[in-house]
Amino acid sequence: MRRSIAAGGLFAAGSLIPVSSSLANQAAAQSATQPGTRAPATIVDGKVVQPRRELPVLQKTSVLVVGGGPAGTAAAFTAKRMGVDVTLVERYGYLGGLATGGLVLGIFPLYDRNNKQVIFGIGEELMKKLDVLKYGIIDRNKAPVYPTIDAEAFKFVLADMVLDSGITAYLDCWGVDAIVDGKGAVRGAVFESKSGRQAILADIVIDCSGDGDIYAAAGAAFEKVKTNIGLISRIGNIDVVDMAPTRGSEDANAEHKPLIGKPEEGRPSKGRVNDFGGHAGNSTPAPHVNWLNMKGPVGDALDVADLTAMELKHRRGTWGNVEKLRQKPGNEQVFLAETAPELGVRLSRLLDGVKKLTVQDIHSGAKFKDVIGYSGAYANAPEFQIPYGSLVPAKVENVLAAGRCISAEFEVADITRLIPVCWVTGQAAGLAAAMCIQDKCKPRNVNVAKLQDLLHQQGAYLG
Amino acid sequence: MTLLRRVPRRLIQLTCFLGAVVLIWPLLPWAIAPRFFQQLSPFVFLSSSIAARSIGVGAIFALIVAVVSSFKKRWFCLYLCPTGFLLENTSRLGLRKASWWSKCPPIGKYVAILTLVGAIAGYPVLLWMDPLCIFSSPFAMNRATNPISVFLVCLGLGVLVGATFVVGMLWCVRICPLSGLQDMLFAMRKALWTRMAASAPSQKFRVARRVFFAGAGGAALALLARRAGAARFRKSDTLLRPPGAVPEDQFAGLCIRCNNCVHACPTKIIHPDTGHEGGLAGFGAPIVRFDRDYKYCLETCNACTEVCPTGALAALPLLQKNKYIIGEALVDNNVCLTALGKKECDACELACPYDAVKIKWDEEQYNAYPVVNDKCIGCGACEVVCPTTPVRAIRVWTQKPV
Repeated sequence: MRRSIAAGGLFAAGSLIPVSSSLANQAAAQSATQPGTRAPATIVDGKVVQPRRELPVLQKTSVLVVGGGPAGTAAAFTAKRMGVDVTLVERYGYLGGLATGGLVLGIFPLYDRNNKQVIFGIGEELMKKLDVLKYGIIDRNKAPVYPTIDAEAFKFVLADMVLDSGITAYLDCWGVDAIVDGKGAVRGAVFESKSGRQAILADIVIDCSGDGDIYAAAGAAFEKVKTNIGLISRIGNIDVVDMAPTRGSEDANAEHKPLIGKPEEGRPSKGRVNDFGGHAGNSTPAPHVNWLNMKGPVGDALDVADLTAMELKHRRGTWGNVEKLRQKPGNEQVFLAETAPELGVRLSRLLDGVKKLTVQDIHSGAKFKDVIGYSGAYANAPEFQIPYGSLVPAKVENVLAAGRCISAEFEVADITRLIPVCWVTGQAAGLAAAMCIQDKCKPRNVNVAKLQDLLHQQGAYLG
Repeated sequence: MTLLRRVPRRLIQLTCFLGAVVLIWPLLPWAIAPRFFQQLSPFVFLSSSIAARSIGVGAIFALIVAVVSSFKKRWFCLYLCPTGFLLENTSRLGLRKASWWSKCPPIGKYVAILTLVGAIAGYPVLLWMDPLCIFSSPFAMNRATNPISVFLVCLGLGVLVGATFVVGMLWCVRICPLSGLQDMLFAMRKALWTRMAASAPSQKFRVARRVFFAGAGGAALALLARRAGAARFRKSDTLLRPPGAVPEDQFAGLCIRCNNCVHACPTKIIHPDTGHEGGLAGFGAPIVRFDRDYKYCLETCNACTEVCPTGALAALPLLQKNKYIIGEALVDNNVCLTALGKKECDACELACPYDAVKIKWDEEQYNAYPVVNDKCIGCGACEVVCPTTPVRAIRVWTQKPV
């Protein structure tokens, strides 16, 4: 399942874009290109060469958040509220990342072993906004049954908040490279969009890209992992069978009597394959619609060939599974409402941070001085603390990581990648970045006591 | 013997009674101590050694008891037996009105013969009637997880105490196979000494006939029970025995229902059977069941195999125990959260201590589901963590020959 490739500085020298004025002048003198002028790649000695050129600067900002998923939006909102200048860049045409575009609608792990909620702060605030929407969210405060959100409702909430917040947002804009100064410190990022290749200069960059694209480009050390890549889908008309109670599929204490299909009588045969005799998926806020998770095969989330193969095969496979599902009596009217716009990439790069969160840490219930939040209990892991050190790269300056690409061992990252934990790391990173601006310090030198204080004031749970 | 006579018998009995409690509890730091208590009984020792075709270390104590008993009639009953002590005092307090049984012939020795002949056929039929096992059984109460188990472990001693309270010492004097065996040993020793028993020919014939019937009955019952046990194993899907258990055809016979294994199991997965799984013959014998909120058969523990006095559970070292197949985990993909796309669940894969469960991606089915490989021994680690209700998607079933 897991393969690690020692890596670091993948983009190496090619990414070092000169920003100091002397270098920029030199560059301008050497090549005739002006900012914004297109300079196509040429073939020199049989090799494709990208000519050296000056990039137009789209924006100068204090805090640049790359990626508008759960971590990115949480970071941007938090930093903005601290009164600093925030720019948010998102690759897709909507916000919410995997929580909306990936159809990861289940908000777990929210609760500790005793079914007490341990994730609050911005995440709780977002869920409260969903609470008031019709068909926005179900199963709130019904631990251990986790809440399920509606993707469109969440897209609306995030769009609404970004529009009102004063954050400068760029959508359909793909962060492709880091801007690094002569000392190796990050000074911004390069983006590719319909407007071409542009630069955004920033004092602090928060890498919420999920894949750690920016810190990797800046030369931070990381671990590359491969794991299963799936594609979630939503199926409709599933309620035609008596499926209403499927939401409580895990615990007898759930409000609804859990239903996971009529238990098959007797012994299952060895190596039997799934025939969807049970009820597929979990209910969503939308009536008669279930979301259906897919594990998928192991793939390299940083390889375009793998990603393409998954996109195509997963959509074909999902259609086939829905056809199979329709053949079950009572399911004749089931239809495929949508496949997720985004592949369900679970993990790709894991940062080598100041602190690497280990399996040992979470099972021994390690307490960190620089705790910035909790992850709920998940599978056989209890709830555990997340230290600030896991968001800070070991070497590179001016960049913070949040979301699934933070510094953690694979097994831990398999939990910290989940939606509410991304809210936690996002909020902490946003706050830390704002503090760096206000206190004029580097991310690794942030006053942790003050950070925790502010998190506390913002309603975050720190134990 | 003269020394013994000088010390009040009650005092010796009380000491032995307390000693038994210390052994069984076990209050000693020695985990395997309980098994030596039942192994004191020559009845248990003889029958189980014959049936299992092997002799354990504990045999020394049983041999000493046997030899002393053959010189001093019912010495064990009078001085050592904690059940005897308990029943004696119960009968003192009891009604003691009925003495109708005083004219009945003592059947203990025929019980013993029946069992011994059965043991030769591999199935010591009435071994569970041993008084030491009946005495130790209720000690397993602290590991019983439900009222039914409490009832089952207390049943034997409860019946004896109740009956003794009402009708007096019927059990000890007439029925107990251990006292019957002691009588036989005493008689045999005497016969050897005097070369010839001084009893009337007619009575001798009657005794011989009874012995013959008891022996024949024992052999027949043993063969029947072994066939029934084998058939039950073939038919049952859910019959799981603790690790080290001998094949099912012999198990219910060799097991003396001492409940040492129930008592020893730290994770409370061993339960006395109501007969639901093991049939009438298996009543009270230990079964393994993985209940919610309890753990599984730990890879760090072989306690149950170490305390078995008869070898019904072979004394397996930890490495061997971890290879003993209790059952096999099978997955119902129509309940599994992962297979149904309900949740990112890999609880079984994470829990398996033997690397036997893997969530596999099936390109044909275009789905993922848990697959169990040959490393599975049925420890139940996956079953206890499987979050589905009311039925768990992965459960341990009786392993069937391929």
